[in-house]
Amino acid sequence: MTDTTLDVVLPQTISVAARVVDAHRTYGVGGTEVHALDGVTVGFPAGMFTSIMGPSGSGKSTLMHCMAGLDTLTSGQAFVGDTDLATLSDRDRTILRRDRLGFVFQAFNLLAPLTAQENITLPADLAGRPVDREWFDTVVRTLDVADRLSHRPSQLSGGQQQRVAIARALVERPEVLFADEPTGALDSRASAELLTFLRNAVDDLNQTIVMVTHDPVAAAYTDRVVFLVDGLVVDDMTGPTHDTVLDTMKHLGR
Amino acid sequence: MLRLALRNLQMNTLRLILTTAAIAIGVAFVSGTFVLSDTTDKAFDQLYDGLTANTDVVVRSQAAYTDNGFQSEARPIPADLVRTVAAVPGVAVAEGSVTGFALLLDKTGTPIQPGGAPTLATSVGGNAALAGDFSLRSGRMPRGPAEATIDARSATGASYVVGDTVRIVLSDGTHPFTLVGITGFGDSDSLAGATLAGFDLATAQRVLGRTGTVDQISVIARDGVTSGDLVARIGATMPHGVETLSGATLASEGAAGMQSGLAIFTQVLLAFAAVSLLVGSFVIWNTFNVLVAQRRREVGLLRAVGATRRQVLGGILVESAAIGLLATAVGLLGGIGLAVGIRRLLLLVGVEVPSTTVALEPRTLIAALAVGVGVTMVAAAVPAWAATRVAPIEALRDAAPTTDDGSSRRGAVGAVVLSTGILGLLACAAAGDQRPLTALASLTAFVGLVISGPSLARGTARLASHGRRGGGWRMAARNVARSPRRAAATAMALTIGVAVVSAVAVTATSLRESVGQTVSAGNRADFILQPVGSGAGLSPTAATAVRALDGVADVVELKYSGAQVDGVRSTIVGVDPTDLGTVLDLGTGTGTLDLAPGSIAIARTEATTLGVRVGDTVEVTYPESGPRALTVTAVFADTATGLISSSYLVSPTDFAANVTSTLDRVVLVAAAPGIDLTTTRATITRALAAYPNITISDPAQLTSAAQKSTDQLLGLVTALLLLAVVVAILGIVNTLVLSVLERTRELGLMRAVGATRRQVRTIVRRESVLMALLGAVTGIALGTLSGVALSRALTGEGITTVAVPTTQLLLYLVVAAVVGVLAAIGPARRASRVDLLTAMAPD
Repeated sequence: MTDTTLDVVLPQTISVAARVVDAHRTYGVGGTEVHALDGVTVGFPAGMFTSIMGPSGSGKSTLMHCMAGLDTLTSGQAFVGDTDLATLSDRDRTILRRDRLGFVFQAFNLLAPLTAQENITLPADLAGRPVDREWFDTVVRTLDVADRLSHRPSQLSGGQQQRVAIARALVERPEVLFADEPTGALDSRASAELLTFLRNAVDDLNQTIVMVTHDPVAAAYTDRVVFLVDGLVVDDMTGPTHDTVLDTMKHLGR
Repeated sequence: MLRLALRNLQMNTLRLILTTAAIAIGVAFVSGTFVLSDTTDKAFDQLYDGLTANTDVVVRSQAAYTDNGFQSEARPIPADLVRTVAAVPGVAVAEGSVTGFALLLDKTGTPIQPGGAPTLATSVGGNAALAGDFSLRSGRMPRGPAEATIDARSATGASYVVGDTVRIVLSDGTHPFTLVGITGFGDSDSLAGATLAGFDLATAQRVLGRTGTVDQISVIARDGVTSGDLVARIGATMPHGVETLSGATLASEGAAGMQSGLAIFTQVLLAFAAVSLLVGSFVIWNTFNVLVAQRRREVGLLRAVGATRRQVLGGILVESAAIGLLATAVGLLGGIGLAVGIRRLLLLVGVEVPSTTVALEPRTLIAALAVGVGVTMVAAAVPAWAATRVAPIEALRDAAPTTDDGSSRRGAVGAVVLSTGILGLLACAAAGDQRPLTALASLTAFVGLVISGPSLARGTARLASHGRRGGGWRMAARNVARSPRRAAATAMALTIGVAVVSAVAVTATSLRESVGQTVSAGNRADFILQPVGSGAGLSPTAATAVRALDGVADVVELKYSGAQVDGVRSTIVGVDPTDLGTVLDLGTGTGTLDLAPGSIAIARTEATTLGVRVGDTVEVTYPESGPRALTVTAVFADTATGLISSSYLVSPTDFAANVTSTLDRVVLVAAAPGIDLTTTRATITRALAAYPNITISDPAQLTSAAQKSTDQLLGLVTALLLLAVVVAILGIVNTLVLSVLERTRELGLMRAVGATRRQVRTIVRRESVLMALLGAVTGIALGTLSGVALSRALTGEGITTVAVPTTQLLLYLVVAAVVGVLAAIGPARRASRVDLLTAMAPD
């Protein structure tokens, strides 16, 4: 059931969208040092919906931030495809985020002065390149935000805001979509809707998604769960269900 | 948690510094102006008190009126009177003195020019007590016809030491004197910048043409005799036309004369202070508006946990009062520094304003507090009050940066007021000569601009939103459009400064053109002889010398005096009319320009103002001799007044009878017909080699010289106004920094989804440029229109044509755009350094 060396065993047969090798991330210095990541090696295969779970302070958000080029590792390596993030300048990391990655955060995903449509095309606008209209239409239809395109974020419900954020991420066809507690601020119905959309994106569009969550229900929508405790990978579960996830969480004892 | 607390403190420190700076600059300018003018007043009082400290009584000829500064135009009194006064019981010392024109030459023979201050000669070396603060710095007092002293400032400037020979230009020519002493006034090297040559009394009387007479008798009373008693006793023995007054009266009269000379300067400074105050108020207002708006959530939380509106409001008021007080203290210190700085600046252009300990009058403190604390508290209270009106839970929920949208009614009102103002200005410009209405219309237009500011900001944003995708213009336009009121208030601070600068530029350019035209309009002379610098005049012997030259056809001497014409302060010209027509175009007038004794010629406009025609009588009051009734014998064209700067011509005989000075102010020379002007000029130059204080100009040079002086005026005024613009720029920086702080989360999100640091910087910079351009365009438009109307309103002051300096105004626009870019440097850098992770922190 547990296989922490998935990427090492199967690199030739399954392409890995993102991975970290012996990742360390330390905040602070001297006596107040905090080891958010303490030697994590994990890979995320393409076309798979993976969730990262763990108690508060386990380093799950830090792991995602470092893989997505939002934060940098203290030591170790982080790859998106074959690109070693440590070799990139800030500008190149920014362009990598813009062109190859997508993000959905827990809240504040959208720029208040822009309409939904403008928020969705923001990365393309920043890159100064045209949007693939056909793909754009497919994405907004899939996420059911086609009739909300001219609305401002303040005129959308929380669920709609999150779906617009996912649309923004998907419209760029990212290699990996990183989602940080995307359902954290939603009620259970909106959560279920959103997770279904994410699941569909993986199944229908072959999108790779890495999602940080602490909700066993959300984790049950994914193909695989990586458990972190105190900056270390302690479990790796494929085909999770609500019950097996809850069980594992109890075993981890927090 | 600690990190958050520190970041918060850091944020607040920056806000505190920016806010304090904005207030302090406004306070500094206002208090600096007051301090400078109060210190100058105090210094003049002390200077004159020092000069007349021991003088109990002064005897001099009675003037018809006194409005002249310190260059006495009083008629001399017989020197015999000194003995009469000395004989009066109670008089310990009585001493006569004379003062007049003298120009010091430096070692190369170039006149020592004290900027605008006069060049004086006076009798020195009498009773030391009577001399007051006037004292020797080195050497001794002069004795005999070949010795002189000079003031320490001139001595230092020209490297003269005791024992040198100093050449001095006097009414009768240039003479060498042995320098035996160097003098000062207390701590001051010169008397308000004037150069001073000192001679013993007999020499002074001779070189000033006052043999047998004195200008003034100074008296020291015996112990136990009051100056009031002595004034009465001496007064009783004096003939008609001689007045006796106390030393204290003379001191206050002298100080008042100096102060009235500087009053215009003080008023100009105060006008600038008012402009920068207005600009500063806008900046303070805006800053607090943004600060309090950002704290809506904090206010909501306080209200939710049970704070009353009064408590919330009170807290904000106390905080703003504290910041205001701190900023006022900083501003006052800055103001004192500014006063010292302006004094230095004046010294550079040759005006020595005497200084003393800094005078901090109560009114300075009151004005500073009103500006620093008053404006700040009002600026804080209004948005705070608005914030407390919102339901607490709504304020709490409102996490996104505040947005405002000027109501459409406001837009409509603004449009109406603005167009009223613009139409008013156009009407004033069309009608001309409407000073109060022009001011009113300018103000209306400005108020209209302020009201319609948000609409204008949205319009600017709409224009900018057509920019290229991803280029930053669109995002910048969004941000401007998001809070058009804030953008407008920021821009309006710049509008004020730019409008005033533009109005001054248009008016000054119009003046420049007009001066050029009027000076050349009435002129027929080939050469114009004038004294260098200001004050004094040319010895009549110079005109005589030129008249004798080959190639010179006509020489006309113009002598000037202040006088009241039918009670109105004016300048009259004494001139021989014989050849006047060949050097001056007097136009087609009425009457005969013979200028016989008892007659006067008046320019058409003045004649109309006074309501007189040929044959009528006007009363001319000479400062020395009093009123004389003169018959109007001619009315001449206004064109001639441009060159001679006067509207009244009287006969040379009358002039000589009523004015002591025999100096020419202007000498107009017509060359013989057909002669080579270059040769003639060389001839005249050679003939006047002995008069280094005379400049020879041809008409073109005269025009450019006149234009140059208006250019200098424009430069000085613009330099001072730039301080107001600096305050406005600080306002832009302030608004940008605050909105960057406010948008930390947004900026972080943009960075996360792929905006490069450069793109973030670009957006902030373009926002800044949009606001700067909005301010500059409205400012230049308003300023140009006001300037045109103002120029048309000032036709009476010699502005006859209206000229718009297009290049200069375009330059202002470019400068504004550059300033927008510069103002954004700090805020943009800050925005691009936003921590990505803060965007995702769930608060």
